Amino acid sequence: MRKILKVAQREYVETVKTKMFLISVFLMPVLVVGVIFLSGRLMRESVTGPRPARKIAVTDLSNELSAEIERAFEQYNTSHPQRQLILKQLSAEEHDLDARINKLKDEVRKGKFDAYLVIAKDVVKGGDKSYYYANAKKVADLLLFSTVRRLLNDAVTNTRFRLHDLSPQLIAELRRSVSMEQVDVSSKTGKKRGEMAMMMTPFFFLFLMFMGVFGISQQMLTTLIEEKNSRVMEILLSAVSPFQLMVGKIIGLAVIGLTLVSLWGIAAYLAAASRGMGDLVSAGIVVYFVIYYILGFLLFSSILAAIGSVCNTLREAQSLMGPIMMFLVIPMVAWFYIVQHPEATLSVVLSFIPPMTPMIMILRIAAHPDLPLFQIIASIFLLAVSVPVVMWASAKIFRTGILMYGKTPKLRELVRWLRYK
Amino acid sequence: MPYGVYMGNSEQVKKSANMNAIVLEEVSKTFGDLRAVDALSARIPTGSIYGFLGPNGAGKTTTIRMIMNILYPDSGRIEILGKNSVEQAREKLGYMPEERGLYRKMKVRSLLSYIGSIKGMRRSELARGIPKWLDTVGLKEWTDRKVEDLSRGMQQKLQFVVTVINDPELLILDEPFSGLDPVNLELLKGILLRMRDAGKTIIFSTHVMEQAEKLCDFILLINKGKKVVDGTLDQIQSSYKSDVVTAEVEGDTRFINDLPLVKSVTRTGKRLEISLSENADTQELLQTLVGRVRVRAFEVKRPSLHEIFIHLVGQSNAKDS
Repeated sequence: MRKILKVAQREYVETVKTKMFLISVFLMPVLVVGVIFLSGRLMRESVTGPRPARKIAVTDLSNELSAEIERAFEQYNTSHPQRQLILKQLSAEEHDLDARINKLKDEVRKGKFDAYLVIAKDVVKGGDKSYYYANAKKVADLLLFSTVRRLLNDAVTNTRFRLHDLSPQLIAELRRSVSMEQVDVSSKTGKKRGEMAMMMTPFFFLFLMFMGVFGISQQMLTTLIEEKNSRVMEILLSAVSPFQLMVGKIIGLAVIGLTLVSLWGIAAYLAAASRGMGDLVSAGIVVYFVIYYILGFLLFSSILAAIGSVCNTLREAQSLMGPIMMFLVIPMVAWFYIVQHPEATLSVVLSFIPPMTPMIMILRIAAHPDLPLFQIIASIFLLAVSVPVVMWASAKIFRTGILMYGKTPKLRELVRWLRYK
Repeated sequence: MPYGVYMGNSEQVKKSANMNAIVLEEVSKTFGDLRAVDALSARIPTGSIYGFLGPNGAGKTTTIRMIMNILYPDSGRIEILGKNSVEQAREKLGYMPEERGLYRKMKVRSLLSYIGSIKGMRRSELARGIPKWLDTVGLKEWTDRKVEDLSRGMQQKLQFVVTVINDPELLILDEPFSGLDPVNLELLKGILLRMRDAGKTIIFSTHVMEQAEKLCDFILLINKGKKVVDGTLDQIQSSYKSDVVTAEVEGDTRFINDLPLVKSVTRTGKRLEISLSENADTQELLQTLVGRVRVRAFEVKRPSLHEIFIHLVGQSNAKDS
């Protein structure tokens, strides 16, 4: 045991001292927060931020909308001072109409106008299509289309109201929204939680689990292959048994992972708490997280220890990692579904596939705090049983693989190694 | 044949069960079609320097790896320091593998305390042992430097310190002298002799016969996985009856050529190199000489290990083909 701890200690100290570790401690949260913050900000910017004025030409074939169109555009410009629309109404005389439309389409193409709207003749009664000509190359132009369509809609509906002798003011008054507030009875403050924040909390736990289990156990491959290539392995094995070495490395890395994950977790909690969302995280989920993390890490890093022991280069190891990666990719792909349907059959089934269990379960628990307790206990039990089985098998492979150089063994050989005493 | 010269004395073997640091009994290992070690038996006496000798590919490293339990023998038994497995003796061992390697990014001191601590050393023992050994090999100023900053020669010395840091009872060195410059070679030999004198058992493998000749108390010569000969250097050499004598005599020496037990004589100054005819006895020659002339020097020339090796291995190779 003392030797196992010594191996673990060295693994921990030597890894924590590396630049990579420092970088991941600080850079990771900065990166994640930065991406969330920037993308949020950019999104708002693109919807409401300042933008150069857009020029829109309009030909009204119905000949009854020009005043309403004018008013709709004016209203828009008043409420969006930073993103003006310049309206140019063109007469709709019958002769040469097609030629003029073609000419304007050409001008849009050349960029003289951003868009050209041709309003259908019986638009008020609602029959023919109106046409909107624009360069659809830019994503920003898609937004302009919906704006113009909304303005045209306003103009048309207002005209229709007037035809029925209804004043638009009256309509606006009648369509006033009811006032309503959402109250969360499970939270002490009774404050409503942002939907986005509620969706992202399970994802955050999933992400922590992913980084903690997968990001760190990668280190297992790196250090094993390094020890193999630098031939330190034989010296180590003259002092400790392969099993002691493997378990020591797993423990050392698990503690590194816990360190990293708790640093990130605490940072994220403080960030959330500072915005009044600290109650999104309960003590219960933190306890579950630690249990699932430890079991998941033991399971996963044992598998990686076996893989690392039979490979001579990272490249070889990566190709063996392929099938294992599936277990990590599935939760990342399915998370959105699972968060919304934590009790669906698929979610339950995925919870009981051991390498995925920690990620899926933490996702479900975070999404649905009242998950049936027996499912939680059963999944922990399943993990607790698979860990020794996988560790035993990995230790067998590790024992033989660790001093093999040259060709990577075939699966059939690995199975044979399991039978060695 | 001088086969099993040392083992031949079964009385002595039984009496000294604990006098053997390592016992190999009929140990075999096969890799695919290659029989790397073939029913090898040997006893390595405690407190001796024991050389595993043989050409490349003879099975030296495989044998050492089986002793270290890095490879499992297919059959046979290995006893180490009175225990049936190396697992129970690890802390009393120092092992230097054929392929050298250290953690390049670690500092010399941390590396040594790590290796020492997994070999069961206490903090106080490390605090004493590390400076002492680094001083012995002249690496004291490098204590707080990273391993990768050391030159190749220095890394080799550090590798040796890693092996002996736990003051092992039994030292197993696979090709310890390869790549050492003459100065460090002498340094290492000196350390090994001092350790032997302090009662340690030292096993090393080499394919350079001269090194073994100068250093070893016992020798095991293997070829193609099989034992060719083992025993003390004396035993091995004396069992190869020498047929060459060098002598210095005063007086007329021409009669020697005509003696029936002499095949030929070469003269260099006063020195005679006398080749004896088959089955002739050197003592008989000496008696004859003493009766006729004044003998100032008389030496039975011993065959060098190299000659014995070539002789034996050549023989066995010839048998195989």
